[in-house]
Amino acid sequence: MKKEKRGFAYYAHIYKMILLQDLKSKMSYRSDFIISTVGILFTDIAGFISFWILFQNFPEIKGWHYYEVLFLYGFSLMAMTPVQCFFDNNWNLMEALYTGNFIKYCFRPINLFFYFISEVFDIKGVGQFIFGVITVVYSWNKLGILLSFRNIAGFLVGVISASLFMIAIMNFAASASFWMSGGTSQLMILMFKFKDYARYPIKIFNRVFQIIFTFIIPIGFMAYYPSLYVIRPEEVTLLTYLTPIYGIVLVYFSYRVWMKGARQYSGTGS
Amino acid sequence: MSSRSKPGTSFKGYAAVLRGSMMEALSFRASTFLRIAGNLVYLVIIYFLWKAIFDSSPADTVNGMSFYDTMIYLVLAAAMFNFMDTFVVYWIGEDYQTGQIALYLTKPIEYQPFLFFSRLGNCVISFFVTFMPTFLIVYFVTRGSISLGVNLLFFMVSILLAIGVNFCIDFFVGIICFYTQSVWGVNIMKEVVVSLLSGATIPLAFFPEVFRKIVDVLPFQAIYHIPLHILTDKTMQLSDYAASLGIQLFWLAVMLGISRLFWKVSVKGLTVNGG
Repeated sequence: MKKEKRGFAYYAHIYKMILLQDLKSKMSYRSDFIISTVGILFTDIAGFISFWILFQNFPEIKGWHYYEVLFLYGFSLMAMTPVQCFFDNNWNLMEALYTGNFIKYCFRPINLFFYFISEVFDIKGVGQFIFGVITVVYSWNKLGILLSFRNIAGFLVGVISASLFMIAIMNFAASASFWMSGGTSQLMILMFKFKDYARYPIKIFNRVFQIIFTFIIPIGFMAYYPSLYVIRPEEVTLLTYLTPIYGIVLVYFSYRVWMKGARQYSGTGS
Repeated sequence: MSSRSKPGTSFKGYAAVLRGSMMEALSFRASTFLRIAGNLVYLVIIYFLWKAIFDSSPADTVNGMSFYDTMIYLVLAAAMFNFMDTFVVYWIGEDYQTGQIALYLTKPIEYQPFLFFSRLGNCVISFFVTFMPTFLIVYFVTRGSISLGVNLLFFMVSILLAIGVNFCIDFFVGIICFYTQSVWGVNIMKEVVVSLLSGATIPLAFFPEVFRKIVDVLPFQAIYHIPLHILTDKTMQLSDYAASLGIQLFWLAVMLGISRLFWKVSVKGLTVNGG
């Protein structure tokens, strides 16, 4: 076989082709798509209402005010969009391994992880993204944050870096299916819930749990540390600047674990 | 058709279904363990969140709830959620999409009670595996903030009614899937509405006046708010207990009626893919 160099353009092209096929099949279930999108919006609006109710009773939480917490909330919703849109097929990994369908991915001359993940584009995440943007813009306005280059660039880099953490966590959780035969869907549900905890300032926890939620379960990086750069520049720590690097390292590591699991998959024999 | 009319046989049938579903629940130990682990993380989060909230508040009690009251309420709500959430909507959706539902229609037992008992096993196991330990921990940690008296008895009755109301709502929502062909989306909407309006995420005592009035005329408070209120409120008299249980009974009757009617109507026009 002729060995070609497969660069970024080649993979982008393949991704586009697979994406179009997936969208076509999604479009045949239009009502499902609409209802699911509304369902996600329900979740986001409920989160919004919860904060509203809380701050009706209490003016602030450990020095954090309503609009700052809303900013964290919107930030975390935006940062969770990539894992929702592009990495949703991880949820089907266990089933694919169990039924033996996974073997088909092993026989293609492209990157195994790429092929598996690219098969599903979950368009539902787009609604959540829009809701996140609206929340961020609203609270950005209310907080009177300057629309400077520093803030906008810092915000964008922050959101993209924060999104890496959930991607890594879900890769780790899904790759457990390569070694475990049961309980991985529960594991994924458990891990996926972490995104809901990212909306609170890490400051509310005591020392021990601040360390746990920073280094062991990196919830703090999913909104809090990167947000500080924009909403509380005077409180920025080294961890804020480390967010992109740490995110990349984690995603790379999760990819290696995923691939290690995939290579030792032996099929079901069918 | 004769077996359907004999109450003795059909009760035996449901008892067998219940036993089977309890065994099924016991065989998934790994996922039970992970559920408990997930719960612990959740508890840590809400503990610190509400501690921070009350620390920042000038008053010790807000809307009649202290930090301890709030924690007891939310911790037990989370523990209840564990055995209430039995994925009924998913089961109905799956039975519909695979066409399995047609097979149930030919069986000499009714679908609704069959489904109820086949999910009840999970409730029973979770009650002992997660709710009881949580309750005991809360009881000892808060040094007897929960009184152990007649309220426990009413609480048990209330829990049973809550399971019934919750199941009927789930069943109703499950049938909606026949029309929408969307299970995941319908279920997530239901979960959001129930957990917010039943007081499972934020105790209803904190809701602003207008919200509270709306919530009071909806069935969702019968799932979490009423049982927890019965358990934790020490000022309740016998008449209050009766009134609370009455509200639950009312909603159970209404939701049971509506869900059964909806089932009857829907099953007539049911089309399933051949299987």
